[in-house]
Amino acid sequence: MPDVILVSSEHSVLALELLGQARRLAEEIDAKVGLCVSGAVGPTDLDSYAAHGADLVYTSGGVVLDACQWADLVSSAIAESQAGLVLIGATKTGMEVAARVAERTGASYAAWAVKIQIDAGFAATTASCQLYAGTGLATYRFSRALTVLSVAQGVFETDDQPGRTARVESLVLKEQSSRLTVIGERAKSSSGTRLQGARAIIDVGRGVKDHEDLDMVRALASLLDGQVSCSRPVSSDRDWFADWLGLSGVKVKPDLCLTIGISGAIQHVVGIRDSRVIASVNNDDNAAIFTQADIGVVADLNEFVPVLIERLRSRRVTVAWL
Amino acid sequence: MKIIVLVKYSMDVAEIRVDPATHSLRMNGVPRRFGDLDKGAVEAAVRLKEVGDVTVEVVCFGPSGALGAMKDLLAMGADVATVIEDPYDGAADATAVAQVIEAAVHKLAPFDLVVCGFASDDGYSHQIGPRLAERLDLPLVSYASEVSVDDGVLVADRDLEAGVQTVSIRLPAIVSVAEEAFVPRSVTLLQAMKAQKKPTNLWSLADLSMTREKLDEVITYSALGETGIVVNRQQNVLKGSDLAEMADGLIDWLINEQVLVAQNGA
Repeated sequence: MPDVILVSSEHSVLALELLGQARRLAEEIDAKVGLCVSGAVGPTDLDSYAAHGADLVYTSGGVVLDACQWADLVSSAIAESQAGLVLIGATKTGMEVAARVAERTGASYAAWAVKIQIDAGFAATTASCQLYAGTGLATYRFSRALTVLSVAQGVFETDDQPGRTARVESLVLKEQSSRLTVIGERAKSSSGTRLQGARAIIDVGRGVKDHEDLDMVRALASLLDGQVSCSRPVSSDRDWFADWLGLSGVKVKPDLCLTIGISGAIQHVVGIRDSRVIASVNNDDNAAIFTQADIGVVADLNEFVPVLIERLRSRRVTVAWL
Repeated sequence: MKIIVLVKYSMDVAEIRVDPATHSLRMNGVPRRFGDLDKGAVEAAVRLKEVGDVTVEVVCFGPSGALGAMKDLLAMGADVATVIEDPYDGAADATAVAQVIEAAVHKLAPFDLVVCGFASDDGYSHQIGPRLAERLDLPLVSYASEVSVDDGVLVADRDLEAGVQTVSIRLPAIVSVAEEAFVPRSVTLLQAMKAQKKPTNLWSLADLSMTREKLDEVITYSALGETGIVVNRQQNVLKGSDLAEMADGLIDWLINEQVLVAQNGA
């Protein structure tokens, strides 16, 4: 009978979030939690994985290079552990890994899980998953002995309890080099922002046209004790930020999300809709974001933001949590 | 060289409304279309056709009604369009869809390259490229933002989270294209007229030696229900010409919501 929940993500934060959720589920049914990792596992790493909920850490010792090799590692850990549930971090690489693992193992697979229910023996796993780019939620019951779910960053919380222990399980994978020959790599600029846990987020959309306009946005963010992030087009087209908010990016739950020049496409709103308060600035009074916000300001952002900064300063207003 | 392009006749998810009282999804009247990701896959193939001796065949597992919209893809430069009638109306488990697509690709073989979007616009589960790669045991170049082929070798840029990776691979292979990487061309009236004369096929599962009953067996989950997500935001709006007044209005509102506090009684 399967009694292991496996976790895999090449993204270190996501891996810890998934470990947290796997630990909570495992304790309900007295199962174990396994983590798949790339490369050798040092004692400090092992302590950290254990503290975050892992009982078992699966590695081949070798560095995993691509989605195909991640799928080898996860499939091999599934065979070794008798896993009943696999949680995979929904990065671009992770989404490819999840589909490959499901195809290889014949597992049930659903993407974008936000709520998971299991029972002992994994006979009746169900999950609620985002549907139609986050417009809705579908609840599925899975019919295979193994279920694979992909989960976005920010859906589940980490659970860090020092003192727990884990052991390393070595996997022997068949020797395989990547089928793709890598002939060049160019890193994207790293924003260095910490979105998880930020109490305020200033969310920049395509309405912010010039890189120098980010100066006023950053000034506003510092007045509001906030971090600056953006929608996916801003991240991918303009290369200003490595991360973005939305369906395919990070989900955040700040006290205040102030959107600037965001139109309000559902694929983006999914990333911010759990904010306590959403305030929005956009010059188009028909913008969809105004139906998703608690308060909207219809104004040209380049004119409005400097005035807002001036009023915050002269009224000596600050955020409630400082 | 033959390129097979996979497209989905997706729902326009921006048009799905949620009933505020029952939280049910209003799916009636939601338009279907080939979205930018699907057209981007066609665009990537057509760009290769412009610089080489290439035939482009477009395949869609979807409603027969998609054949009309396929004319737009033919106008972009594809040579043949095929619709395989989907008995699941777009909602099948990707496990089953991958088997249908695999059968279609085998029927259209030999081919050198399969191109698809990295995900569909409505399902957005990123599955068909990787599943097909597994089933056909072909290399997958996922999230491609730039593609060229020279002497049977494909070179592509991959748009990944950490950066852009350039890879090369000997064909045959599968490529999934990244978002916004291949902006679909607009077509001329002449191209649209010529597209009317290009060959189209309408296949059933039987044409692929498949049956609905056999496909049902590979489905790995059942849907227990669907609900729309209702966002109950206050939707206050500040408008006007006095920016300072609007800024003060926003600040006052945020103070009232206990997001901001005024210091020193200011």
